[in-house]
Amino acid sequence: MSWFMGIDIGAAYSKGVIIQDSELAAYHVILSGANYRTAAETIRHELLKQLKLSQDAIDDTAATGTGGINVAFASQQVSDIVCTARGMNTVFPAARTVIDVAAQSTKVIRIDAQGLVTNFTVSEKCAAGSGRFIEVMANVLRIDLKDFGPLSLKSGNPVSFSTGCAVFGESEAITRVSEGIPKEDIAAGVNKALAGKVSSLVKKIKLEEPCAICGGGALNIGLVKAAEQEMNVHLLLPPQPQIITALGAAITARTSNSNM
Amino acid sequence: MYFAGVDIGSTMTKVVLMDADGTILSTIKGPTGPEHRQLANEVMRMALEQAKVPLKEVAYIVATGYGRLNVPFADRQITELSCHARGVYSLFPNVRIAIDIGGQDAKCMKINNGKLVDFVMNDKCAAGTGRFLEVIAATLGIKLEDLGALSSKSTKRISISNVCTIFAQQEIVARLSEGEKAEDIIAGMHEALASRVATLARRFKVEPDVVLTGGVAKNSGMVNAMRENLGCEILVPPDPLITGAMGAAILAQETYMKATAEGETIQTKPRRLEKAKFFTQ
Repeated sequence: MSWFMGIDIGAAYSKGVIIQDSELAAYHVILSGANYRTAAETIRHELLKQLKLSQDAIDDTAATGTGGINVAFASQQVSDIVCTARGMNTVFPAARTVIDVAAQSTKVIRIDAQGLVTNFTVSEKCAAGSGRFIEVMANVLRIDLKDFGPLSLKSGNPVSFSTGCAVFGESEAITRVSEGIPKEDIAAGVNKALAGKVSSLVKKIKLEEPCAICGGGALNIGLVKAAEQEMNVHLLLPPQPQIITALGAAITARTSNSNM
Repeated sequence: MYFAGVDIGSTMTKVVLMDADGTILSTIKGPTGPEHRQLANEVMRMALEQAKVPLKEVAYIVATGYGRLNVPFADRQITELSCHARGVYSLFPNVRIAIDIGGQDAKCMKINNGKLVDFVMNDKCAAGTGRFLEVIAATLGIKLEDLGALSSKSTKRISISNVCTIFAQQEIVARLSEGEKAEDIIAGMHEALASRVATLARRFKVEPDVVLTGGVAKNSGMVNAMRENLGCEILVPPDPLITGAMGAAILAQETYMKATAEGETIQTKPRRLEKAKFFTQ
């Protein structure tokens, strides 16, 4: 029985998983906060507690993400693109395109049958093309992030945004609220706008189905459905989309050690 | 006989009232804002009161700017680019490049002998507009009008790697928590915005006279940053906000005079101040 840990320190959220052989055994998600080192330690502590394991029980740890370098107890750093691909390949081996909607970026990755990355593209310069857009709008609507998706599904008339910018869009949303436009219509419009950006990004890489979606943004069911509509494809959605990259890191740790 | 120009910007509404000699009798500026969408008539009323001119003696009124289509008392609508170019030319007859940085957009105009010959604009990304400074100032808890003075105290410029206003905002919060000073951050922000606007301007050959207008031109730190980036003198009018409305008033007079000279009937709107109906998106 061998245990491997994967830690993904993102700009907004930090994620960790422990796998036992090749099965997911535990996972944990926290806000990254200002101190990535502390975030990594907190996740490790929580994961070990969940499984009642000691630190020594973990055979190896790999880290990834914006703050991966701050995971002091990791023996290797792995690219997040590779981790996302590996993680998704484990959950949906048939997937050939993976969309990762994260807090500050969106990535589209093409993978082959072996789960190897063949191509990818990233949008990380503009908040309107990332999960941040949803966060800003959830704030405008005064609702929790987790309620954004379900609320948007109630709309039959999504609002159209005239701008592609999150800052200008925020002003537009505020105006819509003051005009009495129902919140669900605004939320649906926001999801539609972001889905449009995702769709444009996917077009930069030849989409090959089956296509899967992950990242914190995929917790927003309204966004997933809107993306399916925009791209006219069915999207494979893992049960825990936010931890796919951390899962890939853990798998990498295991793979590196299987040769020893 | 009087002429008026009304410039309804996304952030500010400006009115200039002029007499037949081209003397400016009054100028009024007020925030457009979502709650003040119907401000044009109020601003016009204030301008007339200040100049002690009755509305019926205003021979011609031109509206310009973002909200120009919805000013019921305007006789004609002219695009803000034409109005800005005309206004800047009246103040600086040797202008070649006119840069206007407003609340929600940035425009660069190429002017030859007073005529607008080309332009380029950004109204898509907040990071290249006055909005960028607004958001950053709010994050730092500083008033917009204090940015210039504060930035002059800076001893080092803090570079922010993110272009996007929202991501830059996060980075700034991090820098502040690391102990960096507000004035150094502001200096960095001025440089960043100046660089983005200068990139627009460089689509044309940047040669003197280069004039800067718009609310952002009131920020001395921004003017210096633009000077540094473009490597040339930047001229700023005494009131950088009113060049659009000024140009509109001048064009109002020219339209009227030309029609009179050619014996044409001049179509005007009823001289009563109704509330503007601003279009919603």
